Amino acid sequence: MSTVPADSVVAKDHAEHAHAGGFLQSYVFSLDHKIIGLQFLFSTLIWFFVGGMLALGIRWQLAYPWRPMPILGNMVGATEGGQIPPEAYTMLVTMHATVMIFFVIIPVLAGAFGNFLIPLMIGADDMAVPFLNMASYWVMWPAFIAMGTSFFVEGGASQGGWTAYPPLSVLVDSNPGSGSGQTLWLIGLTLVGISSMMGSVNYMTTIIQMRAPGMTMFRLPMTIWAMFITAILQAFALPVLTAAGFMQLSDRLAGTGFFLAEGAMANNSEAASGGGQPLLWQHLFWFYSHPAVYIMILPAMGMVSDILSCFSRKPLFGYKPMVYSIAGIAGLGFIVWGHHMFVSGMNAALGMTFMVSTMMIALPSAIKTFNWLGTMWGGKIEFTTPMLFAIAFVSMFIIGGLSGIFMAATPVDIFIHDTYYIVAHFHYVLFAGTAMAVFAGIYFWFPKMFGRMMNDSWGKLHFALTFILMNCVFYPMHILGMQGFPRRLADPYHYETFRNLLPINQFMSWCAFALVGVQIIFVLNFFWSMFFGQRAGRNPWNANGLEWQAPSPPGHGNFDFQPVIYRGPYEYSSPEVEADYYPQTQPPAEEPKPE
Amino acid sequence: MANLNRSIVRLTALGGLLFSLGCGSSEPPAFRLNMVAMTSGEVTVAEDYQQEIANVLDGVFGTPDHPRVISETGLDQSLLDMAAGPAWSDDAGANYGLYRKHCVHCHGISGDGRGPTARFLNPYPRDYRPAVFKFKSTVNAAQPTDDDLHRVLINGVPGTSMPSFALLPSGEVESLVEYVKYLSMRGQLETALTNFTNDELGVDDGERFALDPLNDPEQGEIIKEMLAEIVEGWDAAGDQVIAPAEETAPLDDRSPQEIAQSVEAGRKLFYGKQANCYTCHGPTGLGDGQQDDYHVWNKANKLFMDEIANEELRIQEGWEGDDLTKEDKDDLRAREEALVARREVASTLYPVRNAIPRNLRQGVYRGGRRPIDVFRKIHTGIAGSPMPGIGTTLSEEQLWNIVDYVLSLPYEAASQPQRALAENIAEIN
Amino acid sequence: MNRFWSLLFLLVPIFGVATFVLAGQYNIWLPRDVSTHGSTIDGLFMFILYLTGAVFIVTELVLFYFMWKYDGGKNKEKVQYSHGSHTLEVVWTIIPAVTLLFIAIYQMDAWASAKMRAPDVPIICEVTGRQFNWDFRYPGPDGELYTVDDIVRTDGKLYLPVDEEILLRITSADVLHSFFLPNLRMKQDVIPGMQQSMWFKATETGGFDIVCAELCGWGHYKMKGRVYFMPRPEFEAKLDEMAREQNTRLVATAE
Repeated sequence: MSTVPADSVVAKDHAEHAHAGGFLQSYVFSLDHKIIGLQFLFSTLIWFFVGGMLALGIRWQLAYPWRPMPILGNMVGATEGGQIPPEAYTMLVTMHATVMIFFVIIPVLAGAFGNFLIPLMIGADDMAVPFLNMASYWVMWPAFIAMGTSFFVEGGASQGGWTAYPPLSVLVDSNPGSGSGQTLWLIGLTLVGISSMMGSVNYMTTIIQMRAPGMTMFRLPMTIWAMFITAILQAFALPVLTAAGFMQLSDRLAGTGFFLAEGAMANNSEAASGGGQPLLWQHLFWFYSHPAVYIMILPAMGMVSDILSCFSRKPLFGYKPMVYSIAGIAGLGFIVWGHHMFVSGMNAALGMTFMVSTMMIALPSAIKTFNWLGTMWGGKIEFTTPMLFAIAFVSMFIIGGLSGIFMAATPVDIFIHDTYYIVAHFHYVLFAGTAMAVFAGIYFWFPKMFGRMMNDSWGKLHFALTFILMNCVFYPMHILGMQGFPRRLADPYHYETFRNLLPINQFMSWCAFALVGVQIIFVLNFFWSMFFGQRAGRNPWNANGLEWQAPSPPGHGNFDFQPVIYRGPYEYSSPEVEADYYPQTQPPAEEPKPE
Repeated sequence: MANLNRSIVRLTALGGLLFSLGCGSSEPPAFRLNMVAMTSGEVTVAEDYQQEIANVLDGVFGTPDHPRVISETGLDQSLLDMAAGPAWSDDAGANYGLYRKHCVHCHGISGDGRGPTARFLNPYPRDYRPAVFKFKSTVNAAQPTDDDLHRVLINGVPGTSMPSFALLPSGEVESLVEYVKYLSMRGQLETALTNFTNDELGVDDGERFALDPLNDPEQGEIIKEMLAEIVEGWDAAGDQVIAPAEETAPLDDRSPQEIAQSVEAGRKLFYGKQANCYTCHGPTGLGDGQQDDYHVWNKANKLFMDEIANEELRIQEGWEGDDLTKEDKDDLRAREEALVARREVASTLYPVRNAIPRNLRQGVYRGGRRPIDVFRKIHTGIAGSPMPGIGTTLSEEQLWNIVDYVLSLPYEAASQPQRALAENIAEIN
Repeated sequence: MNRFWSLLFLLVPIFGVATFVLAGQYNIWLPRDVSTHGSTIDGLFMFILYLTGAVFIVTELVLFYFMWKYDGGKNKEKVQYSHGSHTLEVVWTIIPAVTLLFIAIYQMDAWASAKMRAPDVPIICEVTGRQFNWDFRYPGPDGELYTVDDIVRTDGKLYLPVDEEILLRITSADVLHSFFLPNLRMKQDVIPGMQQSMWFKATETGGFDIVCAELCGWGHYKMKGRVYFMPRPEFEAKLDEMAREQNTRLVATAE
């Protein structure tokens, strides 16, 4: 495993070209991985805001069904005296998920952090193929435009759920949003897929080929391992989704019938053809989208591992088990997709096998959690803002991980499938989990990105409020789900049985409004610190990672010296040196010992 | 539980109050005028008259948030209050604003079948304003009874997007029935007022005759008469129920042979010249016969759009004419001007759909699957649709035969895809 | 101040457990179970709840303890320079692995009886989901579906006998729906072009919710239904009544 990759001639060339350009080339059509990373970061933060607004519409309707929504009402499609019509609610649900998953979480992890960190952390001067990297960002724009415009076409944006199950999503007349809104949705999704594909090919090549001398695979930080495995997952799973997307497009536009049964009809209009099988889409979709769940969490786990180790001033506990468990998640990730389909009408015997594989995939997650705790054990924990967010990730991931076991158990899933129990589960994993890791990552690497520190006091205030409020929003969803409160219902109180949950929903909604509100602290802190924050040196956190040896912010080509790596990234409080950190590039005092 | 609930409610209500105080809320919804009626016909109803019509309607019927009932209409204010206004529930769990909760997104705030969801539905939701209802027990031209409206709410309309509301707490369905009648009467009065304005009012020699019943007792009387006539139509519905004679109706305990005979007789009638069912419902019963007609609701829009197209053509011809005097030109310009308003209205209309005869082999009966339901439809036709009644040309026995045949159709062995059976083709020719 | 952060994280297990305890107090819990197999599913749910609850409490408390004890501002001890422990890794791999595998195997029988072992009884009713209603078709006196004597109801009320094995056939007329009976712990998606079965045995009379659990369009929330369980004789009488109503040819002339 101790390969010492040669410098990439191609990349060097490109990096030098990039120096020559003007503003447009430096900051817009830049080939520099850091600029592209920041472009991804800003784009996703804007979409994060959009997705949040969509969530507010949902929360309003759940708290005050059919009541006119103040301010936002008209923006989220309110009519007839300001109430949100049911198709607009369905659209909110669909697009909230779509935006958050495909425009926020996946691109912020792989696009923003992946791009920014990979070359810096492995000691490369840029990505292997910078042009492909730029393309992967600019392909996002047609996707943004497709999804963005879909809100304004007749019938509104897609309303088939983010899973776009046929026949609802295929039969154009079956639902208002199944018109051009759904077509644009599919186009947007395919383009996001192309972007991710370009990114993942690039990441794999870069990580394999462009590591600095001495940076063996087992000296890579967890973030890079996670990005690497994520890239592999994407590369293998995405083609399936893209193919499925094209099949659905052709069902809609070209009159094929991959996903339509014979004689399929809805809303009194018949499909052009049939003979297909709606379940096929579910299989294809989840074959991608289950691995995608790990695409949405693995990089977050990696970043959290790095941050926990850094601020515990202690080596990462069980580095290799951590790596193996990520790899294990990736491998198992391909054989568990059926657990989304336990009650879908899929052969029940298959349900059993998927249950076993799903139970097993909980194992690597458990191992990782124990190792994180092990990392904190016996350390000297510094409660910085990124550390707090990272600990929050661990704490919340425990909840999200454990609640997943309920769903994996097929008989229990019969009851809780499509209830708020599921909603609670994935919000704990994705918002309380990944989003916390993303905040941690932003606070942690902000000095490297902009050369200035983010304000720690405001950061802590942001953390405390976010942490408390998000638990107020998402934790009660568990008990809602226990009572069978179904997802995606525009008016659940149509059922008298769920009337008693209205006050809880109102409480959750107000917490949700506040949760969105307190993000203003973050936005202000972010932009204020960008220009007026305290200047940061190369290594403000006294961290070991290679990226902290580069200037802040790093110039083109990243390093002003040729980094040579002597050890792994987690040698905190090493007895070999005085300081409690031991950067990867610091030559050892005596003879370098082989690992 | 109750304590916790109450305190949470109070907290959130307080928050809600602060929130809405700080930000203001949207305007209360208002009834829309029937712009097709206002702008079709010889002359467009001028905007000041439109406003006056709206004022009179508000005076008689109130607003969507505060419906009013004047005693003449015979409507029940307490039932209307349950259905009208914004949706909410009180502490005891009683629901208000039922129409906004369950109906408005399809049927629209004015009951014009133009809620936000309406455009995407097939068939379009019912427009209550002309007071034409398809599924009822009364003769074609009559209004439905309360029971008929009630029945539609209970069973829904299978084959359409109209679901069943059978599970609403007791009293709520009655309240919605009342509100539908309220919207219908309001729509009928609107039409009457529009016609009255067109026929009787206008500007003559520079003097404008306003629609102002408050200051014009004569108009007040006229409007009262209009309203009385409308209410009379609803009140008389009960007397116009189609009740087949007991002697002619088939018995429940018929032998299979008797049923088969009746079905056979029905089949002959179905394909015969007298009943003529096959022309529309097709030689297979698949509804694939004549499909080029429209329901009245679509027809009104179709005529409106055709009229615009014709007028465009006429204006164009006018301009092409020789020796245009100044008056001619002014006239043409004025007509062009008038068209602008109409085109605007036309741009808001939904695409016109043809009336597709029912596929009788699907076993879906929108108006109910009881023999009596089918009998009534054959007897008097379906109001608003091209389906005519043949109760006057055929005897009740014959009608029952057709009923038996039609009800047997979904279960009749027909090859897939259903072809015209030779025996039926023979009957036609 | 740093103690504050540890305490903040201590709130997680406290409120986490308190929410579930309070929810039970306030009757927000699994809905009343009226089926014979429901108790098995509830039992499995509770089993997992206690198990995960224990793991939750322990890990969150450990997290709190580490935050409290190893707070950099207070902890004067030397940092444990450790890269991990092979033994510990093995322990915390094997224990969860065995537990998870046990849960999986423990569930299999309940799953099989809920979804794989259909009882050998005739279909009592065919349920059809359509936008946006549940339609019910009873086979009528001849016991066969799709014959002239079928009883078809579109009012969202399903009547079934109590205390006997019920076999339903469920289909869809247009898009995906999901026939969800919360009180019977049963849920099954319906797919146009396929027929699904559902079976259960109710133990109590009364009316219970039918919910559509799979997004089926704008009116998804409107697909409310109600299932009524009644003793067999009453059920037969109900069927008769429905059949009579469906055969109505005459109306009382008083109307």
